[in-house]
Amino acid sequence: MPNFFDLNVHAYPETEVPVDDMLRIAKRYGYAGIAITNHDDTGKEEKEVLFTPISNFAFRGVEIRAKSVSELKRRIKLHYGQVPLLAVHGGNEVINEAALKDSRVDLLAHPCGENVEGEVSHVLVRYAAENSVAIDFNFNPIIRSKRGDRARILWKMRENLKLVRKYKALAIITSNARSIYDLRAPREIIALASLFGMKKEEAVHALSAVPEGVLKKKWKKKTEVEII
Amino acid sequence: MKKKVECKGQNKFYVLHFAFLLPPTLRERKRYIVFEVISEREIAKRELVEEINDAIYSLYGDVGASKSRIWLIGYKKKKKDEDTGTDVGVGILRCAHDKVEEVRAALACIHSVNEARIGIRVIKISGSIKGATRLTKSFLEKSSTLKHQISN
Repeated sequence: MPNFFDLNVHAYPETEVPVDDMLRIAKRYGYAGIAITNHDDTGKEEKEVLFTPISNFAFRGVEIRAKSVSELKRRIKLHYGQVPLLAVHGGNEVINEAALKDSRVDLLAHPCGENVEGEVSHVLVRYAAENSVAIDFNFNPIIRSKRGDRARILWKMRENLKLVRKYKALAIITSNARSIYDLRAPREIIALASLFGMKKEEAVHALSAVPEGVLKKKWKKKTEVEII
Repeated sequence: MKKKVECKGQNKFYVLHFAFLLPPTLRERKRYIVFEVISEREIAKRELVEEINDAIYSLYGDVGASKSRIWLIGYKKKKKDEDTGTDVGVGILRCAHDKVEEVRAALACIHSVNEARIGIRVIKISGSIKGATRLTKSFLEKSSTLKHQISN
């Protein structure tokens, strides 16, 4: 069995769930590691908790939520080199483009928005492949929505998958969990991935090898990054 | 035409009922899914059945649901698991042998039962009801023995 990772999980202090509970459930579900990526703009006290080392099982990360490109650049400069995983809160097309053009970013979380309202164009996916920024397939909206909404989300994901296959960009599957009840075991996530045409091998790759490589900065150029 | 079935020491109805069962070669193949439910509060079996049916119907429609032939065989609650700190229950769900992945996806889609948040994880797929019940018993008695199995 490969080692499975979930690189977008929110815990205390952004949500009320303690980090320990999250880790225990993730371990029970068979994950080899999860990354706690709280948003960086939620509060002051967060910073103290965020930057204390958690354990070998959990990786520290940060999800940057910016309103403009200049703000995004400033935040990336602030957090770059401080945390093992630098994610950007996607959704806005301008922010998406700026994040995917920046090779310091590791992961673009939910590029179509948290409820999959937007779109990702082929140009952006090409940038992602060039700068080896992983594109996130967020499974939380599939679990939460029903009927018409779910059909739209699956359709969008199918289109994204087509682009990712075409340009050989890094695809990653995350749960975007905010409580222990949002987490799903790896085998369940692989079954969910088959709903929008992702093959089993692809899903396993997006859950194990790609996240591990992203944490180790495997695909980044040596001059650009320093491994923490 | 009524035939009298004579059978020593056995009930007449039992024998008649037995005669209506399909021969083994004509029976449909099944799999038994053993799953655990982590929930905010205790969940009744009836609530869970409704929710599972709803998930299957909304994901695959009437035709897909009829092909998967799901049936909740049993559900047992285990009060306050030490490991998770929440209410935990274990259930056995029967389905068609080639629709396991589909049912698994539908189970993963369930996020709440009557406004109580839940999360479902499949523990094991079994080919016989004997194996499934044995696994459920061991899970309800000792969760630590099962952890070892899951990690492998």
